Formats: sequence, C-alpha cells, structure tokens
Amino acid sequence: MAALGARCWAALPTRLRQLWALPVRRALAADAGDGKAAQARPAFTDEAVQALLYKMTGLDLHKVFRPVKKGLKPPHYKLMTEAQLEEATRKAIEEAKTKLIMPPVLKEREPIDDVLAEDKVLEGTETAKYVFTDLSYSIPHRERFIVVREPNGVLRKATWEERDRMIQIFFPKEGRRVIPPTLFKDENLGTVFQQDRHEDVLNMCIAQFEPDSPDYIRVHHRTYEDIEKHGKYDLLRSTRHFGGMVWYLLSRKKTDGLLIDMINRDLLEDATSLITLYHMLHPECQSAKEAKDGKLQGVDLIKVFVKTESQREGYIQLALQAYEEAMATSSAS
Amino acid sequence: MVQLGSCLLRGRGGNVVIRFALGGCTNRPFFRIVVANSRRPRDGKYLEQLGCLDPLPNAHGEKVAGLNLERLRYWLGCGAQLSRPAEKLLGLAGFLPLHPMTVTAAERLRRQRQREQQPEASPADSTAGPGTDTAPGTDTAP
Repeated sequence: MAALGARCWAALPTRLRQLWALPVRRALAADAGDGKAAQARPAFTDEAVQALLYKMTGLDLHKVFRPVKKGLKPPHYKLMTEAQLEEATRKAIEEAKTKLIMPPVLKEREPIDDVLAEDKVLEGTETAKYVFTDLSYSIPHRERFIVVREPNGVLRKATWEERDRMIQIFFPKEGRRVIPPTLFKDENLGTVFQQDRHEDVLNMCIAQFEPDSPDYIRVHHRTYEDIEKHGKYDLLRSTRHFGGMVWYLLSRKKTDGLLIDMINRDLLEDATSLITLYHMLHPECQSAKEAKDGKLQGVDLIKVFVKTESQREGYIQLALQAYEEAMATSSAS
Repeated sequence: MVQLGSCLLRGRGGNVVIRFALGGCTNRPFFRIVVANSRRPRDGKYLEQLGCLDPLPNAHGEKVAGLNLERLRYWLGCGAQLSRPAEKLLGLAGFLPLHPMTVTAAERLRRQRQREQQPEASPADSTAGPGTDTAPGTDTAP
C-alpha cells in the first residue's frame, strides 16, 4: 500500500523533506514529469524563493525570543566580556533561525475513497461501524492501515479525518487534540482576530492539523485575508508565518498593502525582494518584461511595478514620495 | 528475553492463545487483545498485549479497535491459537477471512426478522395466500 497522495510530496527537495520529517524520495524515472512542472512555475520550496522570503521575514531578536508564558523563575544574570557577548548573540541568532523555519505550504489532500471488500451478508447485524487501526510501532503514520467496517458490510479505508483522529488517540502528539477546538470554526476566528492574536491562532493550527488538510489551509487563508484587510502585516513579521503569508498574497496578486507597509517602514530591500518574487511567480506580466529588459534595481523597479501592476497606485506613489523626502532630509542634515 | 510459555506447562499442557481480556468498570466493558497461556485466568498475567477493543460506540458512532499486526503475525508464526471472538474480530477487520459463524449468525438473524415480520403481515393481510415466503437468497455454501 503506497503512501497515499504521494504525488504532492514528490516536488520537495531533499533538505526540506528531511527537515519536515517526510520520507526522502528515491530517484525514480517517473519523477521526470514533476521536474518540468516545477521549472515552469516556481514552487514555495525553491531555494531562491525561500531565500527571498526568509530575507523579508526579518530577524527581530526581541520579538522572536519574547517572554513565553511559563512557570515563574527569578531572572538569571551573567557577567560577560565583549567577546562572550558577541558569542552569545551569535548563538541566539542561530537559535532564532531554527525558530523561523517556515511551515510547509501544500495543496489540499485528495479524499480517500477506496473499498477493500463488500460483504452483503453482514448487512443489518451491527448498529455501529468498527474502526481498526494498525498499531505497529515502526510504520510512518502516512502508511498506516486504518480501515472501517460499516454496518452494511463494506470494508473501506478510513477518511482523512478518521485517520487523524485514530492516530491522535493511539499515538498522541503534544499540543494536538482528538477533536479540534471550536476556536477554528469560522465564526470564532473573527473574535480572536479582533484581539490581534493571529500568530497564536497560526501556531495552534500548525500543532492541531496536518499541513495538507483542508482545515489547515482554510484557517491560514482566513488569517491572511484578515491581515491583508486591516493591514496588520507587522504582526507576522519576524515569525515563521511571514513567508507563507507573502506567498499567499503573491499568488493572488494582493501585494499593494504589503508594499505600502514596507515603504512606510523604510524597508526598501524587502520591497524590491517582494517585486522580484512577484516577477518570478508571474513572468508574463508587463512589469516583469520591462524589468528584465532594463535590468532595473531598487526604487526604479518599484516605480515600474507601481505603474503597471498595482491597483492602489496613488497610495504607493505618496508613500514613495514621503520616503524620498525623508531620505533627502536625513542625508542633508 | 526468555519466553516462559513452555515453563508454565507443568506436565498438564496448555498453549499460547490470543484472546480478549475484559477490563473497565460496571456497565463499561473494555477488552484488551492479549497473548497469554490458555491456563491463566482471563484477566491474569499475559505475555504481550496486541491491541484493544472498545465495544461501546463513541461520539462519532464508531467502535474503536487497535491491532498490532506486526506482533500478531509474529505470535501466529510461533503457533498461537486464536479464540473465537478474536477470530471474528480479525475477520471483520479483514486480516483473516470472514468467520463462517459470523455469516451464519447474520443469516439466522435475517431469517428471524423475516419470521417476525410475517405474523404482522398475515393478520393485516387477510387475503394473503399460503405464505409469500421468499427464501433468503440462494445460499452459496463456501
């Protein structure tokens, strides 16, 4: 019984597969077809894309290592020389990099619909269905046999929801509940968003759901939509969710708000990386062609992009003007 | 680890069986699927636990059962016997073919239900001829 949905995992490079604890792909002739699709359109997992997204995420140590609610302990002070302080900062940056690894962005999984046996004789004998789980310790969860015997005698493979529930019952994972909390229903998400707790919602979502489950994708999209509507991009900056949010906005071409926010905060490099990514994702658009012809850099790239692709041209022009004035006054003084 | 199955023989025999051990509380049964010497008490010391079965349906209307198939195959390879309920459960799971008694019980139940339906039908239906008793489909004996 091959791993279900093997196709969607096949396009990931080996480094990320090992990082996200997925079975490492063995070279097969059949994979040649997937390579062509990846070259035509850049995927979330390409090295270049990941590098740009990581640069945009930023590395604010104070936010990454902000106090997490734990048991009360008195603060711990150390006396250090300059060299030791630098060493400690370097180690902190390394740790922060591991905390900023982006969670996977995958397509929604195909529903399982496979009947193993039909025994009409059993119809009417039982009132409830039986769910059988294979508890062998050494099989990966994706390859585990979980079958359901219905009251009408049909023996079928379990659906993804049943699978997740059974695996959580027998092999519990920390932070995950058997029945997903009511927080993740659409009506309750709005309340949490009003309290500006988007990052907490996303962390809980990663703990609770599998990355290719429809609930995970729905919660993430809802969060990104809310952030984009209210312009609260800074909530996710310097967290591991920033890359996913940028990817979502880029694929739907809703980058104007983010661009304005970046220019207002004087993050010109991030703005240029955003537009570079946009051109990588949508190479057929006009600004991409102009940029490639003219090999534009920096502010010129933004100006070309603003003229051709953006909806809120006026706002972005204003922001750019304000930025240039600020630069002029700061360089003059 | 030394297997103690043979040491428990004590000159009277006894074999290794895979059976259900009952646990839980009053009005709340819970079965553990267990490998044990047949001469041990039902809930006594066992060699290994291979799984569990919750006979009461949960909130989603399903009876949850877990089976460690890898170890089950090992013990069956060692020559363990299965108790009848264990065989029936494995037949339902699809690991073994469906137990003939499951099929027989299903057919008996169906025949009984038809017989119950007929006395209700015939007083209501006075013009009914000598029993429109359709025999339950041709039994294809395995």
